[in-house]
Amino acid sequence: MRVQLAKRLLDRQIVDVEGRLVGRVDDIGFAVDDEGYPYVDCLLTGQGALGERIGGRVGRLLVAVADRFTDDPPVPPLRVPLSQVAGVDSAVRLRCRAADLPPSPVESWLRRHVIARIPGSNRASG
Amino acid sequence: MRKLLAVTLGVLSAVGGFVDIGDLVAASQAGALFGMAHAWVLLVGVVGICAYAEMAGRIAAVSGRAVFDLVRERLGPRVALLNLVASWLVTVVTLAAELGGVALALHLATGLSHLLWVPLAALAVWLVLWRMRFELMERIFGLAGLALLVFAVALVALPTDWSELGRGAWQVGAAGHGWPLYWFVAVALFASTVSPYEVFFFSSGGVEERWSAADLAHARSNVLIGFPVGGFLALSLIAVATVAYHPSGASLGTLEEVARPVATALGGAGLAAAVLAFFAVTFGAALETGLSAAYAAAQYFGWQWGKRVSPREAARFHSVLLVGLLLGVVMLMTTVDPVRLTEYMLVLSAVVLPLTYLPILVVANDRGYLGDRVNGWWTNLLGAVFLLLIVAASVAAIPLAVMTGMGR
Repeated sequence: MRVQLAKRLLDRQIVDVEGRLVGRVDDIGFAVDDEGYPYVDCLLTGQGALGERIGGRVGRLLVAVADRFTDDPPVPPLRVPLSQVAGVDSAVRLRCRAADLPPSPVESWLRRHVIARIPGSNRASG
Repeated sequence: MRKLLAVTLGVLSAVGGFVDIGDLVAASQAGALFGMAHAWVLLVGVVGICAYAEMAGRIAAVSGRAVFDLVRERLGPRVALLNLVASWLVTVVTLAAELGGVALALHLATGLSHLLWVPLAALAVWLVLWRMRFELMERIFGLAGLALLVFAVALVALPTDWSELGRGAWQVGAAGHGWPLYWFVAVALFASTVSPYEVFFFSSGGVEERWSAADLAHARSNVLIGFPVGGFLALSLIAVATVAYHPSGASLGTLEEVARPVATALGGAGLAAAVLAFFAVTFGAALETGLSAAYAAAQYFGWQWGKRVSPREAARFHSVLLVGLLLGVVMLMTTVDPVRLTEYMLVLSAVVLPLTYLPILVVANDRGYLGDRVNGWWTNLLGAVFLLLIVAASVAAIPLAVMTGMGR
C-alpha cells in the first residue's frame, strides 16, 4: 500500500468494521526489516502517544492527564497492526472489531468509576 | 408539518446560535441604541453561516466526518488543540450563560430567585442529553424555539412605522453613539451568528442522524430553512427594540426589558409566550452548547461519541459532557453575570473563528472526502469572501473591545 504517510494517515479517525470509533492515528510505529529498510509496522493511538508527538509542556500535560485516569500508569499507546487496516479514505478502516483490540485504559477507567455508576448508562438514547 | 419536522436540526442549530441568551439581550440592545442599522450584519452572517453549514452538512453526509474531525486533520494536532481549548472554553461559558438564561426565564415565570433554578436547569439539561433520543430532542426544542415568533407578532400589534423601519435598515448610522461602538456591536452580532458551536452541532447532528449521500437534499433544506428562520427571529428582536426603545434613546439590559414591549403589545398572553420562548431558546441553546463542547473534544481525540451508543460505550464523551455542565453550574454559582461573560467570550471567540472555518472550506474541495460533490466555483467564491470577513472580524475584535471598553 503506497500512501503519503503524513498527509493520508496521520491524524485520521480510525473506524472499526462495524463503524465504531477506535481512536485517531496519533503516531506511526516503524520497524526495520532484515535488509535495513524501515517500514510502517503499526498505527499508534491514545492520548499518551499524542502527547509524546506534540511534545513540550502541552504534550506532557496530555500524558499526565491520561495517566491520572488509569489504574496503572503509564498508559501504553494502542498499537493497531497494519495488517488490520482494510483501507484508507476519509478515515482509516479496520478489518476487525474494536472489541477485538485492547480497550483504552482511560475509557475503561471512566466507565468503571463514573459513567457505569449512573442509572441508565447501559441503554443508548438513540 | 412533515416538512417542518424535517428541518428542526437546522432550526435548533440556528436558534441556539442566533437567539440564545446573549443575543436576546445583545440584539435588543443593538436595536435600542442604533435602530435597524445592524440588520445588514445579520443578513451577511446568515448568508455566510448557510454557506459553511451547507459544506459541513455535505461533508458529514458523504463522508460521515463532523467538523472537528476536519479541524484536527487539516491543522495538525497542535493548532487544532489550540482551537479545541479556545472553542471548548467559549462553548462552556456560553453553556453557563444559557443555564443562567433558563433560570432567568423560570425566575420571570415564578418569581423565585434565579440561583435557585440553576441546579435544576442543569439537571434537566443533563437528563435530556443522557436519555432523550436525538431526533426527539431536536424536534421538541427546535419547534419550541419558534415561540419567539411572538416578537414578530408583537411588531404587527405595536404602532410600527414599517417604512421608517425599512429606511433605518438602509441608512446605516452611528446614531450619536460613535462608530467604534457601532462596529463593536456589529462584530459581536456577527460573531454570534457564526459561533463555531453551530457548525459543530449541525454536522455532528447529521452524523447522529446517520445522513448518507442520499440525504443531501435533506441536509440542504435544513440549512436553507433553519438558519434563515433563526436570522428572522433575531431580526424581529432588533425590530421590536427599535420600535419600543430607539425613539426615546433608552437603553436596556435585562431579559425583563426585552420582553416588556411584547407585554405592552399583546398583554399577559404575549408576555407568557415571550417567557416560554426565552425558556425554550435558552434550554435548546444549553443542549446545543453542552453537546458541542463534548463533540469537539471527542472528535479531536477520536473517542467514540454520540447518543447512538450507550453512555458506557462512550464513557469519555459523557464524562466531558458532565464536566462541562458542572463547570457551568459552578461558574453561575459565583453570581457572575452570565450575559456579560458571554459578551467577553464572544469577542475572544471571534479571534479563533478562522481556525474552524478554514478547514471546512479546504475539505469541501477535497475529492478524497467528497468525490464529485466538491464545491462549485460560486460556493468557493462565497466561502472565500466570507472567510475574509471572518478574518477581518477576528482582527478587529480586540482593538474594538479595548477602544469601547467592551461596549460600555
